[in-house]
Amino acid sequence: MSPIQLNRRQLLRAAATAGGAALLAGCSTPGDKTTGGATTAATLAYWDWYVSQAPWVQNEIKLFQKAHSGIAIKKTTQVTDKYPDLMALAVRSGTAPDVFLLPKAPKLEDQVSQGWLTPLDKWATPAWQARFPEGSFVEGVNVFDGKIYSAPFSALAPSLQLYIHHGVFKEAGLVNPDGTVFVPKTWDDITRAAEAIATKSGGKVFGLGFGNAQKGALPWLIELFCRGAGSPGGTQSVDYRTGKWTYGTDRNYADFLTLLLDWKKRNFIYPSSMSISDEQARAYFAKGRFGMIVGGVWNQPAWEEGGFTDYSLVTLPSPTGTPQAFFYGFPGGYLGAISAKAKHPDDAWAWLDWFYSKEAGKRWVEGGYGLSIYPDNNDPAAVTSPTFKQYVAMAGTAINGPVPAIRNPDIAKVEVAPAQPDIPDVAAGIYTGQLKDVPKALKELEDRLNDALSTAVAKAKGQGLKVSMADYAFADWDPAKPYTTKRG
Amino acid sequence: MADTELVLLGSRRARQGRRSPLRRRIAGARWSYVYVLPMLVLLAAFVVYPIIASLGYTFYRWDGIGDPTEFVGLDNFLKVMKDFIFWKALRNTFLYVVIVVPLQLVIALALALVLNNPRLRLRNLYRTLFFLPVVTSAAVIAVVVQLLFSNFGDVVNDVLMSLGITNTYIDWLGDPTFAMIIIMGVGVWHTLGYNLVYFLAGLQTIPGELYEAAKLDGAGAIASFRYITVPMLRSVGVVILLLSIIGSFQIFDLVQVLTNGGPYFATEVVNTYIYHLAFGGASSTAVQPDVGLASAASFFYGLLLIVFAVVQAVFLRTLVSRRGGRA
Amino acid sequence: MTAIAGRRRPLTSAATRRGPWVTHLLLLLGGIAWLYPFAWTLGSSLKSTDEFFGRGLNPLPGSPLWSNYAEAWQGASFGAYFLNTVFITVATVVITLLVTATAGYVLARTHFPGKALVLVVVAATVFLPHGYTIIPIFDIMRGLGLLNSLWSIIIVQASGGVVFGTFLFMGYFRAIDRSLEDAARVDGANFHQIFWRIMLPLSGPMLATVGLFTAISAWNSFFIPLVFTLARPELRTLGVGMYAFIGENSTDWTLLCAGSVITLAPIIAIFLVLQRFFINGLAGAVKQ
Repeated sequence: MSPIQLNRRQLLRAAATAGGAALLAGCSTPGDKTTGGATTAATLAYWDWYVSQAPWVQNEIKLFQKAHSGIAIKKTTQVTDKYPDLMALAVRSGTAPDVFLLPKAPKLEDQVSQGWLTPLDKWATPAWQARFPEGSFVEGVNVFDGKIYSAPFSALAPSLQLYIHHGVFKEAGLVNPDGTVFVPKTWDDITRAAEAIATKSGGKVFGLGFGNAQKGALPWLIELFCRGAGSPGGTQSVDYRTGKWTYGTDRNYADFLTLLLDWKKRNFIYPSSMSISDEQARAYFAKGRFGMIVGGVWNQPAWEEGGFTDYSLVTLPSPTGTPQAFFYGFPGGYLGAISAKAKHPDDAWAWLDWFYSKEAGKRWVEGGYGLSIYPDNNDPAAVTSPTFKQYVAMAGTAINGPVPAIRNPDIAKVEVAPAQPDIPDVAAGIYTGQLKDVPKALKELEDRLNDALSTAVAKAKGQGLKVSMADYAFADWDPAKPYTTKRG
Repeated sequence: MADTELVLLGSRRARQGRRSPLRRRIAGARWSYVYVLPMLVLLAAFVVYPIIASLGYTFYRWDGIGDPTEFVGLDNFLKVMKDFIFWKALRNTFLYVVIVVPLQLVIALALALVLNNPRLRLRNLYRTLFFLPVVTSAAVIAVVVQLLFSNFGDVVNDVLMSLGITNTYIDWLGDPTFAMIIIMGVGVWHTLGYNLVYFLAGLQTIPGELYEAAKLDGAGAIASFRYITVPMLRSVGVVILLLSIIGSFQIFDLVQVLTNGGPYFATEVVNTYIYHLAFGGASSTAVQPDVGLASAASFFYGLLLIVFAVVQAVFLRTLVSRRGGRA
Repeated sequence: MTAIAGRRRPLTSAATRRGPWVTHLLLLLGGIAWLYPFAWTLGSSLKSTDEFFGRGLNPLPGSPLWSNYAEAWQGASFGAYFLNTVFITVATVVITLLVTATAGYVLARTHFPGKALVLVVVAATVFLPHGYTIIPIFDIMRGLGLLNSLWSIIIVQASGGVVFGTFLFMGYFRAIDRSLEDAARVDGANFHQIFWRIMLPLSGPMLATVGLFTAISAWNSFFIPLVFTLARPELRTLGVGMYAFIGENSTDWTLLCAGSVITLAPIIAIFLVLQRFFINGLAGAVKQ
């Protein structure tokens, strides 16, 4: 009897020791990586989703810490499409990062009303605001109930371009009489270029490629080509001239998708485009597997890093060669904010202020990441990369458009239910031949989206909000000119 | 047996008088409760409670952030039932189950029969070979399969075209038909190992003497399979079949990482459909997630599965008892 | 009888002489095809980018490039995440084994009021959909003050495998001969001694089986470690590191292959150690 007992006790003791050791291990593994030394007063947690922009952020953190010896910044880059969920859980558990880039969902207004954010007014004095261009702080955009919560970071800029691979074009004989590479401007130019590439290479090189694995690339193509053709909603919004979605009634969409299907049928499009990721597509473009790709300015740093610079870009290709509609932005804007639970709000502000500083913005432009909110920074002369220079010169294709929520703040409270399937799905269905009747599929999509919108408006009305479908229509808007939304 | 127990109980009750036998039995089995308690606590807190909580969410429109406030009654269930994507996803899931389960079980059984031969040298090595994919995570599979097809799918395309089998390039993972076939193939590859070892385990429970005796009686390999292996493996086989079916109905991560349900829902299965509702759609579109709708969809699916399981269990039971009676 | 057997013997041995070769050939071919993705990944992890494209489907690298491993190890912080993952896996396995072995034992070998109910509840959870929001579990962990610790991951991870493990142990213990238990009881062993000194040591193969299955899922898990270490990313696991690594290096194909090999190698090693036990374990569980 007793030996058994003894063994059992031994067993228990062994188990306890093992557990204790495990506990110790659990405590010691994390380790404190923030070796700021004993003088470190504050460690700020900072979250972003910047991957290709990471070198810029890291450099700014380095410079900031050098200037503020008491503050250490712990950056966490959440490389997942769950950034909004992670943010929500972090807020829920009271462990939100001190400074973070604002998630897309919930709406900024809801983040404010749920008490996620610290108002910045204490530090964002009129003098501070004055360094931003006029109209940067707008009630309903980054200001709520008179309090400032964030600031715009970058200037209006065309979000998408068509990139052209010089090597592939030269190989296909797409050269102007003066020896420069032929740059397509119209839809027909692109068809001709793709045809030349396919013929000259014997089908080994393709005219156009994209990476639709994340379902975003096809909508980008539609966005870029249809805006050029004069559909001011693109794939982003209703056509503010009428206040309605127009996928079916505006012929541009069907025309472009039919053209795309024609390119596909004639083997002009890189065959794996539906299954590769955008990153892969960019890499294949750089390798010269196809001659054209649609993407944003974020493509450029990675190409530069990989030693690929022999390309040029063009924006808003259109049937006629003259873009009929542009990219539209709105005054104000937001990116970074400070958590309501920040333990060292003054230090958090110091970092946010640094992040938004003119100097940091200058380095942002010089690094080729995008345009800065400060116009002085966006001087093409200061830019060394010729391709980024081309991009900076395109800034004029992005202008301010109408904003319903400025004319009627109640519009911001309308909750539009998602319409399924939406444009990314319908585009994929058409491209893969699962939706055979293109105009019908587009018309059904249009009806779905308009139904969802009018249902939401009706519901908001029922809740006592003063809204109507007319709030989305701006009869006096000319898509070719910048528009200033007047307060209602 | 049961009768004696009843009699014993009765006599105990008579003797104990006031004290209830139930309490006595509970007290007598106290260590049993202590031993089963940790499992029950974990189960209750992290499995049962979330299920019950999700049942509550089904009546709300809720983005999963903050607390649910917008009560919508049974609207979510109606919405799911009216959504053609749900039915398409259900159809795809059934297609997956109907093709993958038999294919996988037949391969697994055949392999198990070969590898169960104790005289086969290197059989442990072979077992290891065929089991290995099981330890791989879906994320790694996604990387490798994606890389293979996107970088070298052209090689296969070139071969097919030069042989005159096809006349256009195929976007393997971007084609509605081939994407589903690839998912099924990877599904068989990934989980075959489980079924292989289940069958091996089942085969080990069959006494070797039976085969010896059959051999002495002049039975060939086919005859001993037919008259010994099949009947002896029947009850284990039913369990393996059930596990395989249940597992295949929950197919999720392979689809999520390989095609994300696309193109245009061609590979959408119910679990990716629910996931897309709960976490919003593709990252490029800011679709509002609706956890309430996702919960409703998952409960509706759960109900369908339970109905299906009951029908299946009744069917299998009659099958087993009928065949069992004959054998 | 003997005459027949004697006459048949040469035939059988002729068949077995030729048979194994065909069997081995088929098994080897099948095995190579089955393992090709692994071989290709392993080989590609040692290629340069040019070789990666140049060699295509050929798994062999021309000249091994070991620096991919160093780069992946640092790039994905695998070093920091490695210990977390080992700790989580070990603790999850230990907890799961303790919880499921004890529960499986009493459900298989003892009778107590309410047992039928327990079995029904356990079985029902197999079919019912598990919630599609992490929030209820997240709130429990917050209430326990375990958020942002490895323990929250371990507990949630362990609870995910209890049903399956309990069923396996139940099947295994049910198959063990009752006379052993009876003999121990006659010798005066009490409830605990019977379990810890007799039954548990007998269940070695099943411990290996459940342990292996638990280890595979704990090692590979991604979402749970991500969610429960929000405020302390240094507590992340290889699975999370790998996911982030894929996102950050989606076109650094050879690095991705090296990262995949790093995450896979340890779990394959564990499997190789445990594999000879676990078919026996499963065989015990399915014996009725």
